[in-house]
Amino acid sequence: MRILVVGAGQVGATIVEALHDEHDVTVVDLDPARLAALANRFDVATIEGNGASRRTLQEAGLLESDLMISCTSLDEINLIAAIFSRNLAPETSTIVRTTNEEYLEVWRERQLDVDFMVSSELETANAVSRIIGLPAARQTDVFADGQVQIVEFDVVARNEGDGIVGVPLREARIPRDSKVAGIIRGDRMIIPRGDQRIEVGDRVVIIGSPDAARTWGDSLSEETRRLDDIVIFGAGRTGRAVARALVDQGLRVRIIESDPKRAQLTAEQFPTVRVYHATGFDPEFLDRERIGQSRAAVFVMQDDAKNHYAATLAKLHGVSFTIAIVHKAASTEVFERAGIDVAINPRQVTAEEIVRFAHDPRTRQVTMLEGDRFEILDVTVRPESEYADQPFRTMPIRGALIGAIVRDGQAIFPHGDDVLRAGDRAIIFTESARATQVEKAL
Amino acid sequence: MARLTRARLRRLFRRESIGVDFRSALGLVGASVKYLSFALLAPTVVAFIYSEPPWPFLGAGAISFVVGWAIERSGRHGGHLGIREGFFVVSVTWLAAAGVCALTYLLTGEDQLAHPVDAYFESMSGFTTTGASVLTDIEGLPNSVLFWRQLSQWLGGMGIIVLAIAVLPRLRVGGRQLLESEMPGPEIEQLSTRIRDTARRLWVLYIGLTLIQITILASLGWTRIDPSINLFEAVSHALTTMPTGGFSTEARSAEAFGPASQWTITIFMAIAGANFALMYRALIRRRPGLLLRDDEFKVYVGFLLAATVAVTAILLEDDIFGGEEAVRHAAFQVVSTMTTTGMASTDFNAWPLLGLVLLIGLMFIGGSAGSTAGSIKVVRHLLLGKILRRELDQTVHPEIVGRIRLNRHSVDERVLRAVSSFILLYVGLFVVGTLLLVVDANRVGLDLRLIDAVAAAATTLGNVGPGLGIAGPMGSFEPYSDFSKLVMIALMWLGRLEIIPIVVLFTRQYWRA
Repeated sequence: MRILVVGAGQVGATIVEALHDEHDVTVVDLDPARLAALANRFDVATIEGNGASRRTLQEAGLLESDLMISCTSLDEINLIAAIFSRNLAPETSTIVRTTNEEYLEVWRERQLDVDFMVSSELETANAVSRIIGLPAARQTDVFADGQVQIVEFDVVARNEGDGIVGVPLREARIPRDSKVAGIIRGDRMIIPRGDQRIEVGDRVVIIGSPDAARTWGDSLSEETRRLDDIVIFGAGRTGRAVARALVDQGLRVRIIESDPKRAQLTAEQFPTVRVYHATGFDPEFLDRERIGQSRAAVFVMQDDAKNHYAATLAKLHGVSFTIAIVHKAASTEVFERAGIDVAINPRQVTAEEIVRFAHDPRTRQVTMLEGDRFEILDVTVRPESEYADQPFRTMPIRGALIGAIVRDGQAIFPHGDDVLRAGDRAIIFTESARATQVEKAL
Repeated sequence: MARLTRARLRRLFRRESIGVDFRSALGLVGASVKYLSFALLAPTVVAFIYSEPPWPFLGAGAISFVVGWAIERSGRHGGHLGIREGFFVVSVTWLAAAGVCALTYLLTGEDQLAHPVDAYFESMSGFTTTGASVLTDIEGLPNSVLFWRQLSQWLGGMGIIVLAIAVLPRLRVGGRQLLESEMPGPEIEQLSTRIRDTARRLWVLYIGLTLIQITILASLGWTRIDPSINLFEAVSHALTTMPTGGFSTEARSAEAFGPASQWTITIFMAIAGANFALMYRALIRRRPGLLLRDDEFKVYVGFLLAATVAVTAILLEDDIFGGEEAVRHAAFQVVSTMTTTGMASTDFNAWPLLGLVLLIGLMFIGGSAGSTAGSIKVVRHLLLGKILRRELDQTVHPEIVGRIRLNRHSVDERVLRAVSSFILLYVGLFVVGTLLLVVDANRVGLDLRLIDAVAAAATTLGNVGPGLGIAGPMGSFEPYSDFSKLVMIALMWLGRLEIIPIVVLFTRQYWRA
């Protein structure tokens, strides 16, 4: 595949690194130094020029490319490159990186003719929320911007007699908008039918709305620490996106922001969040507000050094789990060496997301469960698929289960009468061995 | 140097033009008086029906038409009518309307209303939809005069709807401004058409609800379910229910009617105390779900229910009423007092002190913003509660940023400040009013208990109506001195116009350019 990458910053470099082996990659950037650095490391073609210029794009071989990825740090440049690409080469798929959630919204409403759009803020938020996760869950992942959640739970003896364990699934009190996608019993994986029962010792995989996942968590959790207290330092765009993702999970969130205007705005946006107008560097404040008692702290300020200092201070105050957002590529190592539990680089996360899409444009997200024995796929249904326009009831089960579909940006948790349509994004739980087969069938 | 500056200042002052387009504002007041004169045709018709002399209405109508027309003519046309002029127009219109009404009373030659202060008190009580009365023998008045008295409240209610929905929010007064964002349509440019449009729609609702109430009350009488109510009384009481007025054509107010009519009036009083814009959307646009999503409405209903339960318990405990009667009288008095209507289904003067204090407390709550009810209004209490809660929170957590929300919208800090200062101003006026009544009662040797003075000030400032003691629901404000009556007239006027538009007129900054 021929791939054109516009932007050779951190995101662009990570993408190039992941894709240069299997694909022909051309990189466009204004900065010759960056291009040279890339060309030295990888076998890629480089063009010096503006990505928002038609001539540059043509020079870079846009017409022959299968995929155009615009991932500069400027939203507008990325969008213009995508628009030119659509006009000049309608067959070429386009991926746009954005930092603006509004663009993402517009794209989801199909008002922007782009094949895939990635927001660094949202990907970062999802990464944080995956790490913090649900209390009882062993592993969680989110799809469709958090509208669909995949959770694995262990069923323990305590759960008996609550209407779920030991009852045929069709009679079990399954929370609304959720499905048991799989039951893992010993070495076997069962794609359950209505007469299947969940037993003590099983591990269950649930696909459902965030609310339903929480209900599952509540009923299967051994602990009842649901009101987990997460503190976010910094309420910039990323900070707010993280807050949104955590609030959507039903977690108790506090935000500390030093800019008064931004603090006001955040308080306005999140009615359930406690917002403090303070800095995270004031030990007296941290002490007074018992920040040390929180379960986890997320550091989302602009400056790596500030994040580092605040995170270390928070550790001193007793915060057991710290997640920091880093901006410079080199920072990740520094942070983790310094004892910060997780460092997330938004550019890295964004690049990974783009790469995932680039592998098979129809498959947006793949999650591995149980090592790599099972996969959750997010596949867009082709019009030619034999399953398009079929009701779910009549769909033969072949080692795979459609847990949810996303239609026009809205998640639907299908019942037997619902119909799968072309263009739907299906979120499918399957054995890894069958993944390719499933992808092809759809 | 200093002298020079002072001299220059003085010169500046002399040259300084008044910053209010006084003549245009007066022109608008004149027009209002002119249009009001047409309303006097209604009692004229009633006078003909009951073969009573129609000339007081015709006379007052003619005089006010001419005077109104003259003022309108002398006023400037096409002048600048902005926020400043708005305060003036609103304040003076209510004074003028009460003046027209008082003139009518004086022309009737009835002894009870022969004294100008009494006539003006009764008129102000009418147009502010208060319902406090100086009459001692209501049933001794001719039907046409009684009808005009009822109609004055109904017309006042129409004015209040425009005031509450369209004018006060523009003048940045009143709790409703913060719900402005909910109102569809563009801002400012189409202001006048919007006001006219909104007012017309809400008037349709107001008139419609009045007609429904007339129909229900009249058919209760017709079908002999409640033989004590006739068509005249049905119309009269519907005219004072929707504006939360409270005037009655009966000396015993709603006590004269049977349970069915009393329940009907209770329900309509409760409706009248709800926000009209909200009801318009809920009833006419058929989106009843909005009621349940409106914070103020929920608290409003909550207050009504809680107070009814409490008063019922008091009545049962003291064995004043039993069973349905206790619930009915509790509900009637609670709804009537809180919505600032002021009708009575029983003489609550005889209730235990706890019940009376509760009723006085309700006088300070009032109905919803955007209704015809007076007093502080539920939305302000709701916001005050939230402000206090935030204060307490910030005492412990000084860095916390608390945004106060209403109907899921965050409320502007300036609005919150306005709410706090309004409540302070309101309570301040209440205290001053009580003080003046007590001092004046001492002066003239009127036997006034403290609770009576408190109730009189609260009831007039809150536009409720009846007080306690001599001025109780079956009594009259007649024994108060002229000065006390003037104080209460001022309280009714101030309370009705949400205090600030009037107080502003007495500041120097208002008149300066």
